[in-house]
Amino acid sequence: MESNYRKKLIRLLTFLGGVYFFFEFVLPEAALEGIGLADRHTEISNGFRAFGAMAVGLGIVNLLLVHGSRVLMVRKNWSYSLILLGGLFSMMAVASLDWLQGERLTKTASVYSQLADFSAVIVRDHEEKKEGVLPLKERTSYLTTAAEAALIKLDPHLNTQNVNKEDTLLSRSYIEKISNSRMEAGSYITLLKGLEEFSVEPYDGVKKELSTIRSELQKLLFLKQKNALIKKLYEFLYQGLFVALGSAMFSLLAMYIAAAAYRAFRIKSFESALMMGAAVIVMLGQIPFYAYISSDLPFLRAWLLEVPNSAAFRAIKIGASIAGLVMAFRMWFSIESESFSHEEKA
Amino acid sequence: MSGVEHATPGMLILLVILIGPVLYYIRRARSNRDMYVRRIAGIDAAEEAIGRSAELGRPVIFSTGLTSVNPILYACLGVLSYVARRSAEFNSRFIVPQFNPEAMAVVEDTVRDAYRDAGKSSAFDPQSIVFLSESQFAFASGYMGIVHREQVATAFLFGYFAAESLILAEAGQQVGAMQVAASVSPEQVPFFICTCDYTLIGEELYAASAYLSREPVQLGSLCAQDTAKLVFFVFIVIGVGIATFNSLQPGMIDLNIIELIRKPWGF
Repeated sequence: MESNYRKKLIRLLTFLGGVYFFFEFVLPEAALEGIGLADRHTEISNGFRAFGAMAVGLGIVNLLLVHGSRVLMVRKNWSYSLILLGGLFSMMAVASLDWLQGERLTKTASVYSQLADFSAVIVRDHEEKKEGVLPLKERTSYLTTAAEAALIKLDPHLNTQNVNKEDTLLSRSYIEKISNSRMEAGSYITLLKGLEEFSVEPYDGVKKELSTIRSELQKLLFLKQKNALIKKLYEFLYQGLFVALGSAMFSLLAMYIAAAAYRAFRIKSFESALMMGAAVIVMLGQIPFYAYISSDLPFLRAWLLEVPNSAAFRAIKIGASIAGLVMAFRMWFSIESESFSHEEKA
Repeated sequence: MSGVEHATPGMLILLVILIGPVLYYIRRARSNRDMYVRRIAGIDAAEEAIGRSAELGRPVIFSTGLTSVNPILYACLGVLSYVARRSAEFNSRFIVPQFNPEAMAVVEDTVRDAYRDAGKSSAFDPQSIVFLSESQFAFASGYMGIVHREQVATAFLFGYFAAESLILAEAGQQVGAMQVAASVSPEQVPFFICTCDYTLIGEELYAASAYLSREPVQLGSLCAQDTAKLVFFVFIVIGVGIATFNSLQPGMIDLNIIELIRKPWGF
């Protein structure tokens, strides 16, 4: 009984989800704006995606169950499982630490962009005569105090410590830009402190210079981070192992294509002879010295690819797309679920 | 139809053309179960392939490739359910390596149900549904590892595949497995034809489930697909006719079907 209710609930939710996306696609933009759905669509779509994200943990749980139990029970091929789990945990740990380090750097640099934004907000609020905010003088005082403190905090970063030799020149250029902007920002702050009448220029100046400091500082900090142990470990595990192993797998394709082509090109029937003939024309039409064989080869090759080949591709795609649409329709109305289990049919 | 974010009236009409026959044929199939479906050699061979694994005492592997939770996965589930049920009946070990964790949950449920249907619930091993990786080539290498270590006798490759298709199929070929593949992406079909014993092309993947189960819902929608294809074929013939006439005598027929379908709402 409980299972029956669960099934009904799933079917209802599937149907409602389908109704939403169907009408979101079918209704014209103007109608969606009229009922206020156009603005909310991104949030709703993100909500649906969040459900999907919950399943990510399932993969890790499965890995732990399958390989963990194999290691604990010392079953066949347990050593592979141990390496896999070791790889999983070390990559998780290193990637998390690297992410944390990156976040810390971004946070250090973001102080300057926050102050730049504050400067812009002060100007905007003053020009719009916004009520319910602190007086201009008080806000400016907060801005100058915070900006001065932030500029002093730049000192420990303005050096080439922990920077790779090959990045020294680059880091020096960042330091120079930061130092120049710091000087400029300092003069604008002095101007702001002595400002009797409101003027946009020093606020804009502070905003511009602090924004420059933010972007250059972030670049400098990331250069320094490149030499950190965690970053090196991450690079080793990701670029050095994971990406390299992926590329090695991909490169296997070249050999496999040759082996598969050898099997496919053995002429056993009329169809395989036809395929062999087409393949020979396409391959010969592709090589640079086709002219020695026949100047018509590139045209033949292009014709084969653009006419019979495209026609077959389109036919497969049209058929598969229609079948996919029909399947989606069956899923929407939960007709499909009747078919998998004998028990459900009864 | 790139660049179209919302349906146009033309698209709505096309949708009705598509959905109308689905409803009609499902109704018809429910009242009369005997609907003709042409032979699909790859599916006919499934029984032989599973029997072979039982004879050799080696496992059956079923991969849905890079398929996530979408209509392609649901098209595969019918075949997966059938193969899992028959493997359970033959006491063959059944392995389903997974790429997508969301799909894995659905696949696990389907396989469990299939074992229950075969009356072999206790033989179901949840660890046979093994998550490998969400990275394409890591998944491919994991799959290769399983195929080689377990010396699988039969491999079913049903679903969405990309560049890893040949790696997966070659792994089966190397251990002498009997392989049945089905892919909706035309780019991968040649690789499967070269390496697998049987290949289902494009929509045959969607038809496989109906062919196996003879379920009215699936048979009906299969007939509906054919009707819809016929309608689209008529559109193509009309389009080709107009293009031919216009190339012979420019501007003779002022009708652009694509433009008509793309024409937005008038408000």
